[in-house]
Amino acid sequence: MSNSTSIGVKEGIDLKPKQGYLEETVPPYTPFMAMEEASRCLLCYNPLCSEGCPAGTNPGDFIRAIRFKNFKGAAEIIRSNNILGGVCARVCPYEKTCEEACARSGIDTPIHIGQLQRFVTDYEKTTGFKALDPPPATKEKVAMIGSGPASLSAAATLAMKGYKVTIFEEKEKAGGVLSYGIVPSRLPQYVVDEEIEHVTDLGVEIKHNTKVGRDITIDDLKNEGYEAFFIGAGMQVSATFDVPGSDLEGVTTALEYLAAARSSGGKSDIGTHVVVIGGGDVALDCATTARLLGAEQVTVLYRRTREEAPASRLELSHGESLGINFAYTFSPAEFQGENGKVKIVKANGTRSNSAMKLEADKVIFAIGQKPEDISKVVSDIGLDSKGFVVTDDKGKTSIPGVFVAGDVASGSAKTVVHSVQGGKIAAESIDEYLKKGGE
Amino acid sequence: MAKHADLSIDFLGFKCENPFFLSSSPVSSSYDMCARFLDAGGGGVFYKTLTTTIPEECSPRFDAQRKEATPFIAFKNMEQTSDKPYQENLDMMKQLKEDYPNKLIIGSIMGMDEDNWEQMARDVTATGVDMIELNFSCPQMTYEGMGSDVGANLELIDTYVKAARRGSHLPLIAKMTPNVEKMEPSAEAAIKAGANGLSTINTIKSITGLDFDSYTALPVINGKSSISGLSGKATKPIALRFIANMAQDMNLQGVPISGIGGIETWEDAAEFLMLGARNVQFTTSVMQYGYRIVEDMISGLSIYLAEKGFEKLEDFIGIALKNIIPADDLERDFKILPQINYDKCVGCARCYVSCMDGAHQAIDWDNEKRKPTIKEDVCVGCQLCLQVCPVYDCITPGKVLFKEEDQFGKGSLSEWKENASNKRDIIVGMYDWI
Repeated sequence: MSNSTSIGVKEGIDLKPKQGYLEETVPPYTPFMAMEEASRCLLCYNPLCSEGCPAGTNPGDFIRAIRFKNFKGAAEIIRSNNILGGVCARVCPYEKTCEEACARSGIDTPIHIGQLQRFVTDYEKTTGFKALDPPPATKEKVAMIGSGPASLSAAATLAMKGYKVTIFEEKEKAGGVLSYGIVPSRLPQYVVDEEIEHVTDLGVEIKHNTKVGRDITIDDLKNEGYEAFFIGAGMQVSATFDVPGSDLEGVTTALEYLAAARSSGGKSDIGTHVVVIGGGDVALDCATTARLLGAEQVTVLYRRTREEAPASRLELSHGESLGINFAYTFSPAEFQGENGKVKIVKANGTRSNSAMKLEADKVIFAIGQKPEDISKVVSDIGLDSKGFVVTDDKGKTSIPGVFVAGDVASGSAKTVVHSVQGGKIAAESIDEYLKKGGE
Repeated sequence: MAKHADLSIDFLGFKCENPFFLSSSPVSSSYDMCARFLDAGGGGVFYKTLTTTIPEECSPRFDAQRKEATPFIAFKNMEQTSDKPYQENLDMMKQLKEDYPNKLIIGSIMGMDEDNWEQMARDVTATGVDMIELNFSCPQMTYEGMGSDVGANLELIDTYVKAARRGSHLPLIAKMTPNVEKMEPSAEAAIKAGANGLSTINTIKSITGLDFDSYTALPVINGKSSISGLSGKATKPIALRFIANMAQDMNLQGVPISGIGGIETWEDAAEFLMLGARNVQFTTSVMQYGYRIVEDMISGLSIYLAEKGFEKLEDFIGIALKNIIPADDLERDFKILPQINYDKCVGCARCYVSCMDGAHQAIDWDNEKRKPTIKEDVCVGCQLCLQVCPVYDCITPGKVLFKEEDQFGKGSLSEWKENASNKRDIIVGMYDWI
């Protein structure tokens, strides 16, 4: 992990992180380092790391390929299973998946599987190697709504089966949460752009600035010959809860805050004293963004303890190394303002009678997101009480020919890697549906 | 999936699916073992060598040569021929061929005398296998006149090949020993006597290490030990030179060679193929990592060949032979200076230490700035620094200088110049992590 930040406590010491907002925190492996790390791998028989991946990647196979100097074979193993291999290498919570299962932990520390995956996907780029060789697109037309991880994964799976796939994206850039959410120091935009290129290289077309349900309807698309639809709309609305003073200027949501920073290259209104409410990776992304862009004081309020926080341990430690304050078991009670702008956050202990008062000119709700109204995209589609699309375990919705995966699907685990897997499964269902002639 | 080249290739008239084989050794000791390898993708097997009498074995029987924290780089083995009854082995070979008709199944035999060689060749032929390997090269046999004793004796080679030929019409492959200065005479004798192909190298006579309490070699067998065969990655350079010598030998032109010696990766295998071997065999890497290593050999080689545009593996065989030339034919009128990328240099001074103590004192070291500098006028371009640098892509081949000779010609005073009259493009080779 990076130690490239320096937070001093004494006067005269530079208190600003040395790392830039757009600069990737973790430096890449060189081939020497990758070989060294792969040589630590015990090459277990039926390795448990390969059972730990939600997207079904086999680290046991690709690490062995690295170990036996078959870097391109390793790229093929990764990419043919996960079109977003380079993204997942950077944002996956490995410590809870493949690395947690690593047998090397019984000797010292687990193999840095994520870093090795990143090496291989970088290597693919450096050498211009094409790990996938798609068949000609001769089958039916399929429309994907939204261009986040689930859609990209489903689109790639379908393109590899010979379908003509078009992605409709309401925003200027494709990638969804990858381009508008996650902090660039964890996931630089060039990586997202390259991964999307892997998808378009397979023949998938992306129509930007086109919102299905507003600019074009499902019926229009049916008339254009699309025979199946995939909803990968993600969660477009930040959840908030009622805190007095929420309407003050300076109180915002994670999605707005991150999108503004990311799409402006870090030139948005960051705030000087920032309070983030939440304990997940999105909250951490907000706090890291604020800190890396120069906020003097960043405090994360989380209602439970560090151990209970859903954020990745790696991100928590990184946040701590950046000098972010973490106030566990605290929840906001009131926002006080001056001239309509937020100035003070009052917070109470959730498990004690403690109370505190924080100076704040920016308050960010990062307590989760929910989907926009999907019935405006596909009328009469079955939704659960929170607005997520109801689906079976194969991505089928209540409407024939309409499939769903990713964050917008009811009951899905809201991570990139789960979305990749959901997209793959839904693509298989679409294939099955179209093979049966749309039944 | 990416684009993969077809790896099929002919060997003595049999179309092999790919060039990857188990060598005749502990890893090909039974039907089940061979079948597991073939199921993992292997092109065929050289079944463990048969003798009509089961040899007695010692315990322990292996030792490994290590270097720092790497997995072992060479392996000492004292095991002899098959530990199964003769007939049982013949039955298993028969079953293998029946169950895997498209894989190349080769029986391996080692006789005690002429009659024994002939009889075994006849028995193995009757199993239906495709070919027979004649083991003239095991260095740890406990019987005189067997194993590598034969491979170094031209008369015995002649007698035993002829005996085997009387017992079989199948292609015969003589497995040669590297425990000779030159392999060509033995190989020629085998071919002259009727063998059709060669496989090499078998293991190299060795002592890997000693025990510091019992004062004997490893492995310790009740306080004693013996010299026996060394295999594994560290033997590859020796194997490659034998292969190149034989492939370039005028009297052995057109004789198919199966390459053996320290093959772990597709790159190792490709090196043997480039030097003229038509397929490769391996054992030690399987003992270390299992049959699954063949998956990466197939994947790596087929991706590489596809990217290089080879339509068939045949076109790749022996492709490097024309570039292996006698040392006195090499051009010696230029030097390639190393260059240091200071953005990558970590200031360890390993290049400085090696150049000072192991080369030509051509690197200056600034201890305060922890910075090495190449002295271009002293540097001879040996590139030891590049070999020892621990940082990827830090020291690389740089400027090329040419020897500008004065009017007195070669051997007299000369100057090194970048723009000399004899300047030309120089092919710079560097391990490039393909």
